[in-house]
Amino acid sequence: MDEKGVFLADIRTALGYTKEETRDMEQCPAVFADVDDSLILDRIQYRTHVEKQALLQILQDNGEQLRLEVHPVSSLDAAAETIVAIIKSTKPEFSTARQIIQHDHPDLIELGLWKRMAGEAVHVHTAYSNDSEVREKSVESFIGITVPRWAVAESATVVQITGPGRPRSTSLLPSVHIALIRLEHVLADLTEVYALLGDEPPKESFVFITGSSKTADIEAHMVHGAHGPRQTHLVVIDELMVQKTTPLKGSGIFASAEI
Amino acid sequence: MKRTKEPTYSQDAQKALENHVLQSSLKKLQNRFGKGVMEYWAAKDDDELRDRVKRRRMSTIENLDVVLSLLADNVQKAGGHVYFAKTGSDAVKYCLRVAQKNEVKTVVKGKSMLSAEIGVDKALEQQGVEVVETDLGEFIIQLAGDAPSHIIAPCIHLNRQQIGKLFQEKLGIDYTDDPPELTRAARGALRRKMIDADMGITGCNFACAETGKISLVSNEGNIRMATTMPRIHLALMGIERIAATMQEHQGMLQLLTRGAALQKLSTYVSFVGGPKSEGDPDGPEEFHLVLVDNGRSKILGDPEFREVLACLRCGACLNICPVYGRIGGHAYHSPYPGPIGAVVSPLLFGMNQHADLCKGESLCGACLDICPVKIDLPRMLLALRHKLAYGDAKWQARQHKPSEAFAFKLYRLIISNSMFYRLALRCARLLQKPFMGKSGMIGKMMGPGARWTNDRDLPPLAREPFNRRWKKKHSRNQKRNNEVNHG
Ligand code: SF4
Repeated sequence: MDEKGVFLADIRTALGYTKEETRDMEQCPAVFADVDDSLILDRIQYRTHVEKQALLQILQDNGEQLRLEVHPVSSLDAAAETIVAIIKSTKPEFSTARQIIQHDHPDLIELGLWKRMAGEAVHVHTAYSNDSEVREKSVESFIGITVPRWAVAESATVVQITGPGRPRSTSLLPSVHIALIRLEHVLADLTEVYALLGDEPPKESFVFITGSSKTADIEAHMVHGAHGPRQTHLVVIDELMVQKTTPLKGSGIFASAEI
Repeated sequence: MKRTKEPTYSQDAQKALENHVLQSSLKKLQNRFGKGVMEYWAAKDDDELRDRVKRRRMSTIENLDVVLSLLADNVQKAGGHVYFAKTGSDAVKYCLRVAQKNEVKTVVKGKSMLSAEIGVDKALEQQGVEVVETDLGEFIIQLAGDAPSHIIAPCIHLNRQQIGKLFQEKLGIDYTDDPPELTRAARGALRRKMIDADMGITGCNFACAETGKISLVSNEGNIRMATTMPRIHLALMGIERIAATMQEHQGMLQLLTRGAALQKLSTYVSFVGGPKSEGDPDGPEEFHLVLVDNGRSKILGDPEFREVLACLRCGACLNICPVYGRIGGHAYHSPYPGPIGAVVSPLLFGMNQHADLCKGESLCGACLDICPVKIDLPRMLLALRHKLAYGDAKWQARQHKPSEAFAFKLYRLIISNSMFYRLALRCARLLQKPFMGKSGMIGKMMGPGARWTNDRDLPPLAREPFNRRWKKKHSRNQKRNNEVNHG
């Protein structure tokens, strides 16, 4: 018996089987039986716009206590303006140069941030999968911009799935993380995320991010920005939204400027 | 685990009682999280989730051979390495081999109790590898050369002034006792380490067999760093830390973050399980999963203790335990303190070495009430006591205190014979006189009795035994009754 065989044989004996009695999934189907989640998947698919807007409101409320600032906007153009405002009001933390890294995603390319930031001495990198310097660029960047797969209203979470052009470090190394998402990818709760993940399990790594990095290790005093981003923004595009007259909450953006 | 020179449980407990910083932090922690979690459970109208997760957890554990085998296959399919470590030292040797083969100079760690259980840090350091803890609390503990005192709040026994002085000395920064500034100093000091390290070592909160991913939970982001930036990621996993399916995983995750700190979700929950794919600029080139048995299959084989393997390691039982709430984590002499530690430490490291733990707990039942998966720790504490009182061959438990057993035998002899009993009482009544203080209480006893009166006074034996008083009173009543009836 190989190393794995011996190891598992010990476990089998502990469970009251004989060493030789190898078992597999067929002998314990109940352990792998999942509750049918087709109703959940249907609910996601047939959600109306009004319901989605209600979710967005919940997401916004829940994000507040977790340092996740949610910005509803009505178009890519408005999203770009919001992001530019955040960039302008944020100072770099680890270096003097103002560099930004963004995922390689059509929506982000469409924002044309490098054009918008041309006069600002801000350098915008894109994490192209054939670029060998993405790692260094991420380390140097003070803002990382991503397009998560989903956002979750109930827990104020964003779900990122790693892939080509979507490295993990973009939402980890920079001091500020900005996520851009379309309203149709806002889900109600974690159960919906698990249902979708179970439907199509990602091969790559993935992560649930809920708010900004934090610690309470010193006298239970809550401090944001332990090792990951100290501020997180979620820009949600709702193209059916009636244009608001005051698109930005100024106070929140300035709060992110202090390091 | 316990060396002869180490202070005993009682000595460390005494020390903790005198530590004002620890006392006030423990109180704060218990008031906030212990009470908070109890209120949360009470407010939830159905605790169906807790029962469901417990049921699924037990059935997964009862099919651990199948579930682990599937996990291993899936990790290997994704290009990861899996190592089956029967003992802690097997696991350590494997880590050393991986480090050596890859010429690892620096290791960054995410908080892992299992790594403390098997002692991998020391072994790596002896090989000249620099090992850096990255969880802020653990980092502080490492700088101070101290031991963690809580599962999720490792440095609650230190206050901000102590940490400020430590940072001034070790990190060379100006003194400050401002938590945000201290955190920023650590953030700066650790960032480069995490980016440049060759290897990341983490534990594993729960793996999921069906997807072949392990998941890691953190609020700080250090674990994401340790699993993303270094060339190699090695995860240590106790064999019981596994869910069969993602649905099971969801329940466990939700109860873990609620039980631990009343969070809907921790900041980061990462799912990883293999090397990065081509074209990925970050993520490890090599992924190793080390499955550690180290005594767990023995626990699995004993129906009396199997249930303890369902533990989520949330630490909620520490946040409610009146004993842990006074003596803190150090007295337990184990990486696993508190009520859960009082049960698993003797099972993993030897009943006699950790005999004090199960006796120290008060059996009040609070740990059972708060446990998200309702693990009956009090029942298991009693079972441990039983094994220590009578000895147990299967667990190699020697009778803990033969003199105590002898004393109880003698006691049984005396109380089962009325003549002996009365005689003994009469003697005791005479002998207690010199020990009675002004208050009429016994304030000091001699010999083995001294420890009883160290912290409390005992009421003396009554001058007249109860049965005699009863008889007197009763006979008087009887007489009166007779008179009434016949008069
Ligand atoms: S025994 Fe229960 S309360 Fe204690 S750590 Fe384990 S799961 Fe949490």
